[in-house]
This record gives sequence, structure tokens and C-alpha cells, in this order.
Amino acid sequence: MPAILDALNNELAKTVNQAEHGLVHIQSGSGFGSGTIVHPDGLIVTNAHVIGGGVKEVSLPDGSRVEARILADDRYYDLAALSAPASGLTPIALGDSDRLRSGQFLFAIGNPWGVPGAATAGVYIGKRREVRLDGGPAREWLAAGIHVRPGHSGGPLVDAEGRLVGINTMMAGLDVGLAVPVAAVKRFLKEAFGV
Amino acid sequence: MSSILGTLSENLATTVELAGPSIVRVEGRSRLPASGIVWSSDGVIVTANHALERDEGIGIGLPNGASTQASLAGRDPTTDIAVLRVQVTGLAKATWAEHMTLRVGHIVLALGRPGRTVQATIGVVSALGDAWRTAVGGRIDRYVQTDVTMCPGFSGGPLVSGAGQFAGMNSTALNRGAPVAIPHATIGRVVEAILAHGRVKRGYLGIGTYPVRLQGATAQQAKQETGLLVNSVEPGSPADIGGLLLGDIVIALEKQPVRFPNELLASLGGERVGKAVQVTVVRGGQVRDLSVIIGERP
Repeated sequence: MPAILDALNNELAKTVNQAEHGLVHIQSGSGFGSGTIVHPDGLIVTNAHVIGGGVKEVSLPDGSRVEARILADDRYYDLAALSAPASGLTPIALGDSDRLRSGQFLFAIGNPWGVPGAATAGVYIGKRREVRLDGGPAREWLAAGIHVRPGHSGGPLVDAEGRLVGINTMMAGLDVGLAVPVAAVKRFLKEAFGV
Repeated sequence: MSSILGTLSENLATTVELAGPSIVRVEGRSRLPASGIVWSSDGVIVTANHALERDEGIGIGLPNGASTQASLAGRDPTTDIAVLRVQVTGLAKATWAEHMTLRVGHIVLALGRPGRTVQATIGVVSALGDAWRTAVGGRIDRYVQTDVTMCPGFSGGPLVSGAGQFAGMNSTALNRGAPVAIPHATIGRVVEAILAHGRVKRGYLGIGTYPVRLQGATAQQAKQETGLLVNSVEPGSPADIGGLLLGDIVIALEKQPVRFPNELLASLGGERVGKAVQVTVVRGGQVRDLSVIIGERP
């Protein structure tokens, strides 16, 4: 294999491995999903739909299983914040979803169908805006050419530098995944905790 | 940013940005708009024929955000190409890749402008091949299949090479939904014909047919299992003049087997117009050859 492809593969694996340190598995009352560590002391962001039936158990990157508390949730933006009794976790650095350019590489990490730490890669397609006729706040998603599947929800979408740009949320057909932009995650955390 | 991955990612995004000025939005159907490629700086735009449901009231979203109206210069359903004209000059004409520069395995981008901005997906060149005919008879100068994801509205947009050059126009209408790129040579030929004549020449016989199974002995003689039963012959048509009769079963044209209607369509390219061709039929259980001068489809 040409040296550059080999080097590229090593970098891809490194980026994915780094992001996996910020990924948790969430067992809820209604099923399972993923979560994204955003603070070393156990602050986890996921989709509100992942914790629909309450949180039963969270599996941390070191394999330990803990109970977690729901701190806040926002059904409309499909976001939730959990607190797990842990410290010294490796949060994923927050990126800037407003500066994404179509064609940039993105990686979705999650637990599709319960497979832990699975990665799927593709490029950023563009923003998908919701059309609202009732004048309410329109939601915005990041669309990427990645194979998001059940269980990916709540996991990190990272860029080539491993920075969090979104929270994987749903499929739009087999080949396109939609994520809540990290800008909305920042807003959500600020409103919930004033940080 | 020194990593290969980071550099590659940035280069891809830059490639998208540089290609963007040659990609327009085409509003010609009731659903989501499609995409189009700037063919010439003085306002010729090419798009996918199947994404253009109407002939009038076609809107174009220009790369600078402005909107304008386009007139339809013509369309060729056989190659899925439609040619539009806008009264705008100074457009950024697409830069096309040299013929045959693509290789299987190359990274390519599919771009589209279904909304205000250019959107992108990535893939590799899956298969390359020689010239081929579409199911409806269009000649495509090279087979280029990719595994790019065709998002809604990407039809009519370009396939872009790693070098940032346009390597074809993406269409999902020609190959059972698998994305194929229509190469520059084909688009050029169709644009030239449409701008000169408003259409692309197609051969014409003047018969109606449906496929039938050949009887045992006939099938053996013809070396094929089906043929096309002639169930109508237009009076005065090339077929009528050439002696085709109701009840004939067409089995070959210029010795190329004709087993299904699409094979007959495929054999009636514009280059055969005005030429005498050998039509092989089964008549009364006997195989015989007729000479028919192909006409031009009205």
C-alpha cells in the first residue's frame, strides 16, 4: 500500500480512537443508544429520544457501568444532559459547527445496534433546515454522508481534528445521517447550567 | 494543520468551494430543485432531463445568490441531458477533466446545489468502461460508475475529480438508480446538436412491437429465445417502404440480436438515419432479411 494511504489509515484510526474515549453506551428504559462526554467530571450529552424511558445504566469508556442522573432535557432540540458519578474522563473538545465546509471529512462514533465504538466516515453535505409554517424556531441539522443507524443516537460527530461538531441524531435515508449541530448543544448547556 | 487527514479534509472542502461558481440550482419540477452545470460563460446550462418536469417557467439559482429564468433549448431523454439558456454573461464555465484521466479507486465528489449553497458527498470511482447505450437508446461515450451518495437534488450536478475538475454530470436515471456520470464528450455532442437543431437526431422505423417467445425450431435457427412481434406498421414509414409486414417477428438489426424493445431502441441511433440496414425477421416460420432505410424520428 502506498505510504500516504498507510499514513492516512493510521491517522483515521487515531482520530476514531480518540473520539471513542469520549463515547458512552446508554441503556435506557426503552432501548439503548450512545452518549458524548463533554466534561471530565461525568457530564454527558445525548439525544432526548435516547433516554425516553429513563436511564438504566451508562457504560463508561473504561468498561465500568454506572447509574446516571438526568440533569436536563429538551425534547424539541432532541438533547439531554446526564451526570455520571465519575471523574477524570476524556471529554471531546468542542468544535464549531458554523464553520463547517461542504466536503470536509466527518466521523460518527457510536454503538449502532449495540456494537460498541463503531465508526462510520463520510463528508459534510450541508445544513438541513426545518421549514416551519407556525413561526416557531426552526431547527437545523448537519447532514453528512455517513451511515447512521439505530444506536448511533447521542454519540459524537467529529471532524478530522477530532473536535465535536454535532450529536448524531437520525438517519435520512440509508446513506445520509443527521446530527444536532454542536452550536445547539452549547446553547442547550448554557440554558441548562448557565455555563 | 499538518496531518494528512486534516490536509485532505481541507483540500476537499476547498475543491467544493472552487467548483461552486459553475454549479447552479435548477427549478423545473414540483418537488425539490435539481442542479445544473455552467457549460459556457454566456449562459448555456446543462442539467438532467429527468429532473426537468416542465418546459417553461424554469428558474435558475445562480452561484452568487441571484435568481433568473431559463429557456429550454432542448432535451435528449436518451442521454438524460437537457440544455438551458439564461440571459446572463460572465458565468464561471466549468473546467472539465481530460478524457480518460479517471481511474477505478479515485476519490471523487458529487456536488449539487438543491438549495442556496453547494452540497457535497464523496465516493470512489467504482467502474469504468467503454461507450454504452442507455435502455432508451442514447449513446454515452464512456461508462463511469461511482458509489457517491446522490442526495435529493444532486441530479444534473457534477462529478468532480480530486484535481477539482468536472468529470461528468451525475444522473441516477440511466442505470437503475446507480449513479453514473455522463462524460464531457457526450454532453458536448448533445449540446451541439440541441443548440444547432433544438433536438438530437434519432433513427425511426415506424412500427409498433411487443416481445414474444420464439417457437422451438425458429428459436434454434435464430439462436435467441425472444423477438419483437410487429403489431402495427405506419403507412409510408421506413418500415412500410422496406417491406415489413404485420405479424413479422423482428429478431435482428444489422446482425445484432433484437430480443426486447429496448434493444431495438438502442439500435436506432441518429447515426443510422438515412442509411440502409439489414432487418432480420421471422415470417411464416422462415428467417429472412429485409433492407430498410432508417428514417428520422419526427
